[in-house]
Amino acid sequence: MEAVTRLVKIRTSKTTLAIGDGANDVGMLQEADIGVGISGAEGMQAVMASDFAIAQFRFLERLLLVHGHWCYRRIAAMICYFFFKNITFGFTLFWFEAHAMFSAQPAYNDWFISFYSVAFTSLPVIALGVFDKDVSSRVCLEVPSLHQDGVNNVFFSWSRILSWMLNGMCCSIIIYFGSLNAILVQAVRQDGRVAGFDILGVTMYSCVVWTVNCQLALYISYFTWIQHFVIWGSILIWYTFLVIYGLFSPAISATAYHVFVEACAPSPLYWLSTLMIVVTALIPFFVYKISRTLYYPQYHDQVQRANSKNW
Amino acid sequence: MDSHAAGSSSGGSGDGAAQPRRNSRKPKYSKFTQQELPACKPILTPKWVISVFVLVGVIFVPIGIVSLRASQQVVEIVDRYDDACVPAGVTDKLAYIRNDSIPKACTRNLTITKDMKQPIFVYYQLDNFYQNHRRYVKSRNDVQLRDKSKASETDNCDPEAKTVDGKPIVPCGLIAWSLFNDTYNLIRNNETLSVDKKDISWKSDRDHKFGSHVFPMNFQKGPLQGGKILDSKIPLSKQEDLIVWMRTAALPTFRKLYGRIYVDLKENDAITVQLENNYNTYSFSGKKKLVLSTATWIGGKNDFLGLAYLTVGGICFFLAFAFTLLYLIKPRKMGDNSYLSWNRATLGR
Repeated sequence: MEAVTRLVKIRTSKTTLAIGDGANDVGMLQEADIGVGISGAEGMQAVMASDFAIAQFRFLERLLLVHGHWCYRRIAAMICYFFFKNITFGFTLFWFEAHAMFSAQPAYNDWFISFYSVAFTSLPVIALGVFDKDVSSRVCLEVPSLHQDGVNNVFFSWSRILSWMLNGMCCSIIIYFGSLNAILVQAVRQDGRVAGFDILGVTMYSCVVWTVNCQLALYISYFTWIQHFVIWGSILIWYTFLVIYGLFSPAISATAYHVFVEACAPSPLYWLSTLMIVVTALIPFFVYKISRTLYYPQYHDQVQRANSKNW
Repeated sequence: MDSHAAGSSSGGSGDGAAQPRRNSRKPKYSKFTQQELPACKPILTPKWVISVFVLVGVIFVPIGIVSLRASQQVVEIVDRYDDACVPAGVTDKLAYIRNDSIPKACTRNLTITKDMKQPIFVYYQLDNFYQNHRRYVKSRNDVQLRDKSKASETDNCDPEAKTVDGKPIVPCGLIAWSLFNDTYNLIRNNETLSVDKKDISWKSDRDHKFGSHVFPMNFQKGPLQGGKILDSKIPLSKQEDLIVWMRTAALPTFRKLYGRIYVDLKENDAITVQLENNYNTYSFSGKKKLVLSTATWIGGKNDFLGLAYLTVGGICFFLAFAFTLLYLIKPRKMGDNSYLSWNRATLGR
């Protein structure tokens, strides 16, 4: 059996899936790209050699059509979004270097940078990767051709990956040059004080956190209380962190000492520029999404739309 | 990877369902594990899209108008003086600025273009001065600035850490060493306008970053004087010029607050500025400018925010209009299968 699998794999260069439940199927399960073992009357041998284990043969249908479809979408979206959020963040640092004589001075306080991937943008990605759904399981079973999206690699093609990266670049450009021009060089408050390195860092960083989280909110199609909690919660965590970190002594918090409470929060310019920059950064993606789903829908868009009332 | 992740509807591992069992090993149903939590599933429809764009436009355009008006109300007078204050006939500007025996006094005349209400802010603006260079930003010691007993802490401050004979410099570092030292004296109708230099720095800096018992020591005693000489009888928390300067700027072009004037200035007032052109910006082709400005709720003069809001609001209105037109001209039924790419191909489009 494994010889047959190998033959099919090599001659057709397709992804093969093998399913079996006995010890004699172990060779075939390991040879195939995906091995599905059934735990059952013939023991656990097949299960131990397999990539996926199910309890009954009829569960294969759900495994492929429901979970296969969902997981493919989730993983592809998660990876693309990961590139996007890190490019948005990282490139603002690069653009700043051009104005700092390329001396490797980070645009933000060190702890801001350390916590970016850990605290402010990690939970929403997990929510995307674990919970996102475009259609219900019933629709997945009713429309098996949705599975073809995975076969045709619709969600993880190079054009998708590169366009998410391009989106990240555009967002970072808008955020950086927007913050720069709004905040500098004149006074930022009515008391005549100007913005230094610290205020610019906080403004840019707030815009980055808002933009990447709202971008996720625009992308996902399934909002439970979990998604709301992690997306808006991450933004709240950022502000909470800023306030608490600013309370530590200046020897630890350096440029972030009291910066939000004293300098940024009372300044209407800070809030207005955050709003403007975030909305501007999100408009290109929003227009693209509208154009695609309304005027050039792909098959999965059609299915999603047709079944939107029948979840 | 095991498919027994959350949401799998297969039963627990174990015996198959070959024999009917009294006790099913199926896990208890819960909305969370079956991924059936109540959810909102937004679908983009033309109505939604148009309303979102109209909403954004309706919010942004008024904000833009208000911001632009506030910025236009600010009166700002900028005067570049570093090239004009070099005496006529001097070709080597660097030698001029370094020579202490040449008097650096310079007189500039400003005319107020519009009525300015007090408080009027006096700034000095520097161009091409990279206060955000990594080595420069690093060159300070915050522990020393706060605490009298830690005066000998001069880590990171090289080359301005210790004097030639090993005594620690307070405040150490390049940032303090390069303190701006031009002074301005403003006169209107032969009457000096007093410039209030109190409260120009941030309160948190004065109270917590710069100690009230820390005094300058061994400052600017080296062979090269980089900037202002500090009075060693005044504690650091009261040296507001130093505090303002040490809050490093973000970009090579920056302004710092010099002081405030609490007198109204009328249009066409002639202000004479008697300044001391001490600071060396000639060795790196920097520029020095004196700025007088008022401030509104939005801060100083910057049309960018107002214009950006108006532009984005305008774009949103335009997009709303365009999508409305598209919707009216080419209405699409939701779920109309003739738009699928393979159906369009067969229709010969």
